[in-house]
Amino acid sequence: MSEKSTNIKIRKQIASALNFFSPDNLGPTIMFSDPATRTDGMLLAPPSSGGAGGPVFDRVQPSYSSQSECFRVGERSFSRQYAHMYATRLMEMRDILTSKAKQTWGADVKVRRLCDLQNGEQCCIVGTVFKHMELQPSILKEISEEHNLLPQPPRAKYISQSDELILEDELQRIRLEGNIDTAKFVTGSVIAVLGVEKNDGKFTVEAFCTGDLPPQSPRSRLSSDRFVLLASGLGLGSSGGDSLLGLQLLVDMVSGQLGDQGEQSRAACISRVLLAGNMLSHSTQDKDSLSKAKYLTKKTQAGSVEAIRMLDELLVQLVASVPVDVMPGQYDPTNYTLPQQPLHRCMFPLSTAYPTLQLVTNPYQADIDGVRFLGTSGQNVSDMVKYSSMDDHLEVMESTLRLRHLAPTAPDTLGCYPFYQNDPFILQECPYVYFSGNAPTYQAKKITGEDGQEVLLVTVPEFSSTQTACLVNLRSLECEPIVFSSFCPEDEEESEMNISH
Amino acid sequence: MDDLYLENIDEFINDHNRIVTYKWLSLTLGVHVNQAKQMLYHYLDHKRKESSASQLHATYLVSGKFVENGNTSHKVAVVREDQLEDVKSKMVLTVSVHVYSVQKAALKDSGPLYSTDYDAVKENLKNCCKYSAIRCACAAPVSSADEQWGQETTADPLPEPETRNPILNGSSPPAPSKATAKQPKGIMGMFNSKSATRTQDSGREVKTEQKEKTTAQETSKTKVAAKASAISNFFGKSAARSSKENSEKVIKEEIVVQTMRVSEEKSLGSHKAEVDVKEEEHKGSHTAGRKCKDGRSKVKRIEESDSEDEQFESQKKKRRRIKKPQPDSSDDEVIADSSPSHNVDTRTPSPENKVKKEPVSRAEEKTEGKRRKRRKVLKARTFVDEEGCMVTEKVYQSESFSDSDSDSRSGPQPTEQSGVQATLRKKEDEHRGQKRSPVPSGKATKQPSIMGFFQKK
Repeated sequence: MSEKSTNIKIRKQIASALNFFSPDNLGPTIMFSDPATRTDGMLLAPPSSGGAGGPVFDRVQPSYSSQSECFRVGERSFSRQYAHMYATRLMEMRDILTSKAKQTWGADVKVRRLCDLQNGEQCCIVGTVFKHMELQPSILKEISEEHNLLPQPPRAKYISQSDELILEDELQRIRLEGNIDTAKFVTGSVIAVLGVEKNDGKFTVEAFCTGDLPPQSPRSRLSSDRFVLLASGLGLGSSGGDSLLGLQLLVDMVSGQLGDQGEQSRAACISRVLLAGNMLSHSTQDKDSLSKAKYLTKKTQAGSVEAIRMLDELLVQLVASVPVDVMPGQYDPTNYTLPQQPLHRCMFPLSTAYPTLQLVTNPYQADIDGVRFLGTSGQNVSDMVKYSSMDDHLEVMESTLRLRHLAPTAPDTLGCYPFYQNDPFILQECPYVYFSGNAPTYQAKKITGEDGQEVLLVTVPEFSSTQTACLVNLRSLECEPIVFSSFCPEDEEESEMNISH
Repeated sequence: MDDLYLENIDEFINDHNRIVTYKWLSLTLGVHVNQAKQMLYHYLDHKRKESSASQLHATYLVSGKFVENGNTSHKVAVVREDQLEDVKSKMVLTVSVHVYSVQKAALKDSGPLYSTDYDAVKENLKNCCKYSAIRCACAAPVSSADEQWGQETTADPLPEPETRNPILNGSSPPAPSKATAKQPKGIMGMFNSKSATRTQDSGREVKTEQKEKTTAQETSKTKVAAKASAISNFFGKSAARSSKENSEKVIKEEIVVQTMRVSEEKSLGSHKAEVDVKEEEHKGSHTAGRKCKDGRSKVKRIEESDSEDEQFESQKKKRRRIKKPQPDSSDDEVIADSSPSHNVDTRTPSPENKVKKEPVSRAEEKTEGKRRKRRKVLKARTFVDEEGCMVTEKVYQSESFSDSDSDSRSGPQPTEQSGVQATLRKKEDEHRGQKRSPVPSGKATKQPSIMGFFQKK
């Protein structure tokens, strides 16, 4: 009896605590560990005499449609220059920016091309930002004999105080200065700036505006809770095996083997699993093969072979129970340039037998239960971190949304396929959930746009180091991290268990 | 029965010194995961009550809401028994607690738990989620269907020409269609006759049956003239065939059938048929390496059945023939001319053959069921001839094999000629050389045809 009263007490506490988190007034946000799901102590008892086994829950089946066709590159031709990509990017964004500029600064603001600029006249110009950085690695400088430079070691950030912003349009370019924070911008962003051209040939900026969030199509509210699990950076094939039990716990939880009945029934509400890149660890990228002599490496197997086999075995446990989308990442065996094409199905002989396995591109876009998901494996965000003063992945993600471009630094510093007709990284429709994989920590934030768009930004942490996965509730657009932990000898000294963040 | 698992678990833990995780237990005993968890708990409880000095250690799984720095997270943790209460107290809300594993030794590290589960799952990859608490309706493996489809697609193109031919020839009696349907996929008509021949025992009666069977199989071509053209086709086709042995056998069989048919039916094309038969006989006798003690008839039989096979793929053969670089182009034209004419003739004698088909089809049915077949295989045979010299030559010997061996057949072909006597070599080439694109050693590959008989004069 006392147990019951403590139960009730705890429930009240939780209910009040949960009320704090709910954004809408539909009641307390039901997170994954809902008090109603507790079936305390049921499994701490002898088996029931019926011997018929436990209950079996049915996995929810959401509607799903993939929207990533724009990221599939069919026949590839690398004989083009990247200039076409910038040209088409500017062309697409110009109209959007012009209308945005008129919205922001009045309909009578003059929008000029660079070639039509007049001295001293306040006007608005639209163009692509180019950030001139001294520290940016340049192959020309490296091989130039007159400079006699040694190759630069890779740095964490390539920005410096002396960076300059230059705005380019189809024909000309002009230096920008004034009320503009150079460090926050990256090459390749298309913006509109309001200012005056001074005598010295530079443009003094008074204000700027970006494309901001694209339009968002309305979604129907779900009646029940549905979850999507986001995980990235599984890091298979690494020398350390610490994260493997955590991975196994993740798989067991999602497939309904772990936990009490209550938890299993909640796990049945997980409608999809999204692996956002880097299933293989960095150590499988065997750089030795490039430097070592062929006769030493001839018979050795690539590190990724064993890792892919492990991934296949892991995936087969998952796909037998839940639809899985696998996105390639920086260290996965697929092409290096964005958009990364899906991993080939021949690598997963066991898992491809199941139709629930989806090998998808990076970036990836899909409609799951009417909720538009858009995300990458993190290369675009980490590249922007290197070339701007922003450190927070969430901040970078927000800026990409506001710029209306997934990866502005492509193709300048981020490898990219030379597109010709269109730039698929320009956001056409605003997603409801925008994620980026392989972040150092878990973060989630909701932002709103001018036209009432709401987006949940999620930085999916690296599982191999943080043992954390993210669970997105499709009904309420909330995200909750799930931390997996196990015990190890060090825990004997400290009482605290493994905490991710 | 209910408590049997207690002994099982006891055995696993104490005798085998295993770490028994709930997952391993569920997969081993074939029970629902929750039941496995309860079993473990029961066992633990039972043992603890029995003897307090038990050496059992357990790990638990705890999951629940965890609040840290204002951030809530759902925490899933595997903890040792001594840490259980501690962890539970730290959690704001405990959603589930259950036994994760039971083992004799105290675990310092959770690594062995992972390896136990890994091994268990690896053995049961196909049904790793069979005992889980969640079923996904859309996760149904399609592998078996895919494999079948893959096999069928490769096999489809080959039976197609065969099935096409009966239709082309206008009459498709049920017996041959059934026969064709039953023919093993993936191998052309040559092998169909081969399959017929495979079932034969050493006795000739079986061969007769097979011969009849093959003739039944090609009943659309049972018209004599059809057979004649088939024979000519055969020689065109046999070159395309990589398995010479079958062609040999089939030739012989066909010839025998031909002779039988010819004697029975004096139809339009009988003349030609006779001609062909004789031609076959000649060729049969000359066929390489065959020291058939059985005599000529055997050769004829095989040849005949093969030629009937040929007829099925007359289209294909024609195509093949034209493709092959023929040293003697005139033969090509002759053949090309003759085969259409033969086809025309084949249609006329068809009604006469129908009567014959029935006994044949019956014979066929008998041999249908046998999967273990016999085939002629080229083997080197050493013997002492009349002069007292040891001679090694390649001979066809029948050998039994099953379907799986059928693919590794094309090897011996190029080596055939080495053991063949010179006079027979030319005929060999005609029979088999057409399939091999490089011209066989030294001899001209003359495309055999029905007109070849006249040319030989």
